[in-house]
Formats: sequence, structure tokens, C-alpha cells
Amino acid sequence: METIVNISFAMLRMAAPLILVAMGGVFSQQVGLINIALEGLMLLGAFAAVLAAFALHSALAGTFAAILVAMLFVLLFALFVLRFRANLVVVGLAVNILALGLTKYLLQVLFATRGAFAPTDLPGLLPLDIPGLRAIPILGGILSGHSPLVYVSLLLVILTHIFLYRTIPGLHIRAVGEKDDAAKSAGISVPRMQYLALILSGAFSGLAGAQLSLGNLQLFSENMTNGRGFMALAAVYFGRGRPLPTAFACLLFGFFEALQIRLQTRVGIPPQWPQMLPFAIIVLTLSLISLRQARHKA
Amino acid sequence: MIRDTLIAWGRETLRIVFTLLTALVIGAVIMWLSGKDAIAAYKILISTAFGGRLEIADTLLTATPLILTGLATAVAFRAGVFNVGVEGSLYLGAFAAAWVGFTLTSLPGPSLLIAALLAGAIVGAAWALIPGYLKARLGVDEIVTTIMLNYVAIYFTSYLVNYPFAVPGLANAMSPLVAANAKLPRLLPPSQLNSSFVLALLAVLAMAFLFSRTALGYELRVYGSNPLFARWSGMRPTSVILKAMLISGALGGLAGAGQVLGVNYRFVANFSPGYGFDGIAVALLGRNSAWGVLLGAILFGALRSGGATLELMMDIPLELIRILEATIILFVTAQFALRWVRRRRMSTASETAE
Amino acid sequence: MPYLEMRGISKQFPGVLANDHIDFSVEQGEIHALVGENGAGKTTLMRILYGMETADEGAIILRGKEMRIPNPQVAISLGIGMVHQEFQLLPSLTVAENIVLNREPRRGIFLDRTAAVQAIENLSTRFGLGVEPTVRVANLSVGEQQRVEILKLVYRHAELLILDEPTAVLTPQETRELFAIMRRLSSEGHTVIFITHKLGEVLEISSRVTVLRRGRVTGVLETARTNAVELAQLMVGHEILTTQKEAAPAISDETVLRVEKLQAEDDRGLMAVNELSFEVRHGEILGIAGVEGNGQRELVEVLVGLRPAVSGRIYLDGTDISYEAVRQRREQGLAVIPANRSLEGLSLPCTITENLISTRYHQPPCSHRGLLNLPAISSFAQELMVRFDIRAESPRLPTRVLSGGNLQRVVVARELAAVPRVLIAAHPTRGLDVSATQAVHRELLKLSSEGVSILLVSADLEEIINLSDRILVLYRGMVVGEVSASQANQEELGMLMAGRGWTAGDKK
Repeated sequence: METIVNISFAMLRMAAPLILVAMGGVFSQQVGLINIALEGLMLLGAFAAVLAAFALHSALAGTFAAILVAMLFVLLFALFVLRFRANLVVVGLAVNILALGLTKYLLQVLFATRGAFAPTDLPGLLPLDIPGLRAIPILGGILSGHSPLVYVSLLLVILTHIFLYRTIPGLHIRAVGEKDDAAKSAGISVPRMQYLALILSGAFSGLAGAQLSLGNLQLFSENMTNGRGFMALAAVYFGRGRPLPTAFACLLFGFFEALQIRLQTRVGIPPQWPQMLPFAIIVLTLSLISLRQARHKA
Repeated sequence: MIRDTLIAWGRETLRIVFTLLTALVIGAVIMWLSGKDAIAAYKILISTAFGGRLEIADTLLTATPLILTGLATAVAFRAGVFNVGVEGSLYLGAFAAAWVGFTLTSLPGPSLLIAALLAGAIVGAAWALIPGYLKARLGVDEIVTTIMLNYVAIYFTSYLVNYPFAVPGLANAMSPLVAANAKLPRLLPPSQLNSSFVLALLAVLAMAFLFSRTALGYELRVYGSNPLFARWSGMRPTSVILKAMLISGALGGLAGAGQVLGVNYRFVANFSPGYGFDGIAVALLGRNSAWGVLLGAILFGALRSGGATLELMMDIPLELIRILEATIILFVTAQFALRWVRRRRMSTASETAE
Repeated sequence: MPYLEMRGISKQFPGVLANDHIDFSVEQGEIHALVGENGAGKTTLMRILYGMETADEGAIILRGKEMRIPNPQVAISLGIGMVHQEFQLLPSLTVAENIVLNREPRRGIFLDRTAAVQAIENLSTRFGLGVEPTVRVANLSVGEQQRVEILKLVYRHAELLILDEPTAVLTPQETRELFAIMRRLSSEGHTVIFITHKLGEVLEISSRVTVLRRGRVTGVLETARTNAVELAQLMVGHEILTTQKEAAPAISDETVLRVEKLQAEDDRGLMAVNELSFEVRHGEILGIAGVEGNGQRELVEVLVGLRPAVSGRIYLDGTDISYEAVRQRREQGLAVIPANRSLEGLSLPCTITENLISTRYHQPPCSHRGLLNLPAISSFAQELMVRFDIRAESPRLPTRVLSGGNLQRVVVARELAAVPRVLIAAHPTRGLDVSATQAVHRELLKLSSEGVSILLVSADLEEIINLSDRILVLYRGMVVGEVSASQANQEELGMLMAGRGWTAGDKK
């Protein structure tokens, strides 16, 4: 029972950055643009968070910085894809390369370090102890004591759902994603919706980065996103762009990440096997979904 | 016909040069903002890259794996498959070549070398078949699967040299050395430039030949240009996708094998500074053509080569080069787009004539 | 004072003068038909009115005031609405969501669904446009979708409605319903401009008609005082020359293509081809008539090998090809002119040569042991360009620079380079002008006289009647009628196409 609670707690903690960035992915998917740059945006957010938190001695400042920086870079992405009509995938990959290079470069230039920047006094997103929550049997142990962004991530799933399916801007985003000529002839500004969705996806990616660097660990290490942006993308494919199934996929992947960490500390298992686990699982999951879809048709 | 080709080459080169200049300007801005002397930096860059025979050799050395990974990516892209998994093929191909090199040592003379190279290509190809099959048969998006599988390949090979094939007593995770006759001969000592460069050049020729003169090449590029049309004409998507991935994976594996057999003489965990990903940049810069890839790879090789010295001499992190590369990619694709947009505007106008 | 006047409108596109000093006027409350052949300039004129194009010259005067209409939003605000040939609907959204899109009743940023549904129901009753607001558009029939489009216009207070070829996708029954709606609109004071090339409809529903030919107005008439012949002459400039088939040449008894109880599903998993059986004989042209969406597309895809059949068999020259791949079927003598020229029949970025060899690149003379024989390919392409009159400076040009008619010539050239056993021609003249259409018709007739079996799928009844030896009518994936061409007439076929059951079509 202890272990289940512990693992579930860890699952939630690992899933939170995934959920945050995946919600960003949901928006871009719904507007019809696959955002391959989620990984890079998250990384930039993580770095900006640490930078700002260090300079201004505030985790809150760090979080805001993360959001702003990620939004800035997603605008770059939007510029090249929407204005210059460059290929979506290519620009996404380019942004990822840029993010990696820029963060490593700045790490060296600003902090004279390589590898990781972990100042001892870096303010982190301190875990919230919500009174009353802890008292609930089982669930309390799982839900209580997380960094505030974990709660934000869960809330975000619900908000995303409501926004997309109940509000007018959400309707417009879905219309643009489905058939942009039809939306255009109804007078909706297609670029405006696309920019909106992309900015939101940038903001959430930044938030995810902040959770990663300030919420879990209070440091920045090179390439610390390590494929999470792509995992989130996989989750979006899994959920076909709908917030709830996507979030579910994130929880699933978070579970495997949590599992992976536990297995690493077990003696006797080479650490690389558990490290491989989440990635292999994702490939498997996507294959199984496609398999089932194919069977359905047959 | 030759005149057409020359004009096309001329345009390509101009385009690449222009893009490069834009990127250099941006790089200069970043350097100035970080308090470095950009002009001095570029001087060092050029002299390190092309300043003398040895320097050129080093540039070509750095370019070699990029040529191969660039070709690997380009072949797939032309067939319409976004293979972002060349890094994975590279790692597994590298390990396979190393394994043959230190295990099958009883093979005589050059046959060990050939076997090792083949092993690299075959394993790299096989690895790429996995996402290829998933896409061809199940329609699973290849971007996500290939990226995920990269991580799997990197961790897996790391496991291999940390456990079953670890060399006792060594601090770093690496495999045993390959036998002497599995090593690729050096071309210009003391530079590490070796015959893998020759292999890469051959690959460039082979790819140019493939796409212009063979039925397979025709099939791949026509399918890539309009898969629906290709199906109506009788081409089989599964066959095309698998063939594209096979070639792509083989080239990626060869890139890894080249590094192992030509430079390190053993497999070192995490040895690749992202050759596979850089291959994407090179392919994009070279617009997926064989010659473009060659040019682009040499360019990036020069940047890398020079970048290492920049780091040493002016304390400018190597990553600046990455930033330059990303900028280059962005501008290359934007350029495509601007020309395409202009063309599109003209054709939509004529379409609506009713 | 006319409700709308367009004076001296001219519009030039590269290589084409689409509108040449056109004067066009419409009175309030009338149903005004705008007719002409494909390419006459009707759609361009209306796109200018709707703000999707700008005229090079001329003025638009609405209710006596000169207006500039730079984009559809302005047109809509002026009370002008347009229903395009291709519907601008969002299938996964409901009828209500589609109609109120961007003019939603709101509560803050939330969509007020109840208010939306209410408004739609009101409008629906007023104009006889019965649709369910909460149904998803994907589940509606074509006729119902069109009504949603009209509701969109009415919801936005359109006073002038432009309908672009609305009956192209409707069964005769649905067309009658549409006409009732149009009369309702007219009686409520709305003005309707109705673009069509179907003269029977013009005579039935319109009060006045403007005829365009080659970008110019050739006549403005009151419908009651004219007739089909006069209109046709104004449209075409001379008596309509239909490529009439001569008395049946050698159609032997030999069956070349035989289809037995074929069943296939569409992309949504619904039965599209329903126990279909037929044969085509040597030298025969079998026409498949039917409103689009009754299984024709799926039938063609199954015959070609792009869609698996659920059950049933296909025989070509007696050989069972039901499970063979596309390439194998082609090698057995199957050729196809796909319905969608630019997506299925060609690769626009590729050169003419590359498009011409796409079905035979892997065989001699194009290639030998995997290597392309470039000189042979080049002369092959040159030969085809001459033989099929493909007009371009060089076969090395990318096909995207070619006109519609030329593009179709490339497709035809490729498919007919070797004489096939069976040619499936799916909507072969769609989007082509008169001369290009006639060229295709001539080619098809020539082929059939040489013994090629042709399966002609078309929505153009005139084309089917003129070219076919026999006609099958497809409705909901089943053959509901078989008629020999000499005894076919449009009325009867129209009824069959609407699913009105069998008539003793063979006897008259």
C-alpha cells in the first residue's frame, strides 16, 4: 500500500511537466499545427526559470520568466511557419537545435559552468501542503505535498477542456484546425487563431520547463528535458488532440518514468534498461493504438 | 542539359552562401552581446577550417559523418519519410562494426574491415526498419517513433559497453579495441582523416546516381512528391517506405561504423555529439540533394572544426556553432517558402480564371 | 432601380480574360439565373461580387450606391451571401455550431447553445429549411448540408444570395426541394442569383437569365420569353455539337471485365458498394450514371485495387484479379483516368516526362535491370506529346505550369500509351472547357472502336448518354437500372438516380 501511494505520488510528480507541455501540444494540434518544438520550448523555459529565480531570488519570477521566454520563442516558430510558410517539422527541429545550443552556450557564458547549474540557494517551487487534503486516506498521500505547478497541471487539463469545447475562442480554434477555408469564409481570422494556439502552447511549455527545473530539482542541467517534449507529443497523438485522453497518456508515461527511477536504484538492474523504458513504452503504445485502429476498420 | 545543371548548382551555392552570411551576422551579434570579438572569432574560424592542408583535412574529418548522416536523412526526406532516427542507426551501426572488429578477429586481411563496415550498415538498416514497418503497415507517425527509438539505441549501446562488453579497468564506458586490420587507413597523418571520407564521397556519388539514373530513385522521389498519385500509378507505399528506411538506416549505420573504425577504433558510449541530428540540418541546407549535402556537410564541418578552436582560444562555447546551424536551417526553409509563396500566388490566380 | 448592378466589370488572369466589360443587373426579389459553359466567367463575376476577387475595371452598385467590396466580410455586412460549389462546413461540429460560427450568441466567452438552437429553429421554420440543429454535419446528406449552408446565409441577414451550381450534387428530388426553398426566399423579399449550366433548371425556376460566353454577356432575357435552344445558342455560339456515337461498331460478345457481387465500404465504414454485378464487353462503353456519393468513387477504387473489397470478385479477361495489387492489374491491361486529376492522376511538381512514365518506369524500355534508360524515356515522352497533342515547350517542364486541358492530356497520354484492355474513365471531362471535352470524347470513342472496353463514370448525363452503349444507374451502391443508350432519356435516368426504383427501361 505504501509503495502504491509512493509510486502514484511520483507518477503525478513526473507526469506534471508532461501534462503541462502536452496541453500546449493539444492546442497546437487542435488548430492543425503539429508543434515539434515543444521539447526546445520546454528546455528554454527551464533555463529561463533558473536564470530568473537565481537573479531575482524568487521562484515566482522564475516561473514567469519561463512563460515569457517560451512564448517569445514560439513566436519565432510561428513567424517562420505562418508568415514564411516554412515546413512545420523543419522549423520545429530547428528550434529544438537552437534551444539546446543556446542553453548550453548561455550556461557557459553566464555561469561559467558546463553540465549543470545548481546553486545552493536557488529558490524552488516549494511543495504545498494543502490542509485537509493530507487527511484523506490514500488519495491524500498521493495528492498532497506537491509543487504548486502539479496542481496547476491538473487544473489546466480541465480548463483546456472547457476552453476548447465550451467557449467561443475554443470553437474557433477547432474550426480552424478542422478546415481553415471554412473558418475563413465564416470570417474567422485563421492566423489569429493559429497564433493564439501557438502562444498558449508556448506558455504551457514554459510552465512545464519551470516545473522541471524549479519544481522537482532546483537546478538546470544540459538537455534536462531529455525527450519529454516528444513524449508529450506522443501523448497528444495518443489522445488525438483531446485534453482528457492526452492527460491520461501523460499519467501513463509519468508512471513509467517513476518506475524507471525506482528500478535504477535497485541493485542488479543496469540503469540503462529502466532509462530506456519510457521511450520503448511510447513506441509500443502508439503501435498498439494504430493496430487497434487498423483492426477496427477490417 | 549540362548548362542547366551548372546553372542549378550555381544557384544552390549562391543560396547556401547567402544563408551562411545571414547566419554569420547573427552569430556576430550574439558574440558581441557576450562581449567577444566577432571578427577575430571569424578569422580564427576560417583559418582553422581552411588555413592549411592539415586544417582542411580536419575539416573534412569532421564533415565525414555529417555527409553520411545528411545523405541518410535526405534519402528518407525525399521519399516523404521524416526519418529523425538516424542517430539511433548510427549508434547501433557503430557498435555492430566495433563488435565485428574486436570479435571476428580471425578474419584475414581486409575482409575484417569489410565485414565490420557491412555489419554497421546492415544493423543500421535493420534498426530503421522498425519505425519504417510501423509507418508502412500501421500508419504510426514516424517522427515520434524515430525520436523515441534514438533514445532506446543510445541507452542500449551504453548498456552494452557498461556491462557485457565492458573492458575491465577502464574508467570510461567503452568497448575493446578493434583489431588492426579492421582499422580504416589514415589519409593524411597526423590528421585523423581516414578512408571513411572516401566512403562518404562514394556515398554521395551513389546517391546522386540513385536519384537520377535508377528506377528505385525515381520511385522514391515520385512517391515523395505525391504519395496518392504514386499509389494510383501502381507503386506500393509499404515497399517504398521500407526501401527508403533501409537505405537511410544503412547510411546512418555506416556513419557510425566510419567513426568507430576510422577515428576511435572502439565504441565509446555517447560518442556522438549529435551527428544524426546534424544530418538533418545538413540535409535541409542541401535541400536533400547529394551535392547539396556534400557542400552543407563540409560547411558544417568547417564550422565545427573552427568552433573547437574558438572555444580553446577565445573561450567561446562550441554551442555557438549550434546556434548558427539552427539559424541557417530556419533561413533555408524560409527561403524555400518565399519562392514557393510567390509561385503559389501566380498559380492560384490562374486557377480561379473561370 | 435594380437591387444590384455590376457595370463594366473586367477581370484578367494570366492568359485569360475572365470577365470582359460585363454589365449585370438583378432586381429585388427575383431569381436570376447566370448561365454559361465552364470557363465562361460566371464564377469569377460572382467571386468579385462576394469580395473574393477584385475587378480590374468596373463598378458595383448595390441599392443605388456604389460599393467597394474588398473581402467577403464586407460582402456579408452588405447583405450578400454565397453558397459555394464546395461546401464550407466543418463536419465534426454540429449544425448549430456551423451556422452561428463567428456570430455566436454568447454569455461572456461562453457559447450560448440554447440561444443558438432557438434562433436556428426559428429561421428553419420560416424558410422551410428543416434541419436538426444538434446533429453533426458529418452525418447529414448532401441536400441537408446545402440547407445548412443556406441557413448560414440567412442567419447572417443575407438579402442577396448567390448559389454556385447548387444542383450539381443533388438528386432530382432534392433539386425540387431546393427550388421550393428558393421560391420561399424570393417571396420573402430575398434576391437569388443562381449559377448553373443546366438549361432545364433555368427555365423552371428563374424569372430572368443572363448568359455569358467567353467572359462577355451574350444575352439578358426574361425566362418566360425564351427557350432552351435560344439559351444554348447564346451559351455556345452555335448549335451544340454533341459527339454522337455512331451506330454500334463491333461489340463482340466477349466479356472483358466482369464484376460479381462486389461489396465495399467507404472511409467511414459504411457500405458504399452493395452487391454490385455487371460486365463490360469488348469494345463497349458502359456508362455508370449516378449522383456523386452513391458509391462511384469507392467502386473505381476497388476496381483499380486501391480499396479492398469486403466480398465479391473481379475478373479481367477471365482472370480473377480481385486480390491483385494495382501494378499487377495494370499489367493485365487495366488503365484508369482518375477523377481528381491533380491529386490522383498527376504529381504536379514532377516533370511531364516523369508523369508519363509513372506506370511503366520499372519495365523496359524505360528501365533495364533497375537502371533508367534516359534516351528511351525521352523519346517516349516526345512521342506521346505529339500523339496526344500535349502543348508545352518541353517535356522537362514541371506539370504544374500546365492548364487543365493539358493536364488531362498528360493523364490520357500516359494511360493510353499502350492500348489497354479496359479503361476506367472517372469524370474525365470535369473542369475542362468545350474543346478539351470534345477532344476527350473523341479519344474515348476512337478507343472503343478499336475494341477497348470503357467504364465511364460521370455525373454529366449528357456525356453519359452521348458516349455510352449501355448505362447503369448507381444508387446507394446498387445498380437500380440498366438502360441501353439509344433508349435513354434524362428524365428517366434522373428518376433512377434519385432511387425511384426500376422502370422497364429496356422497353419503350
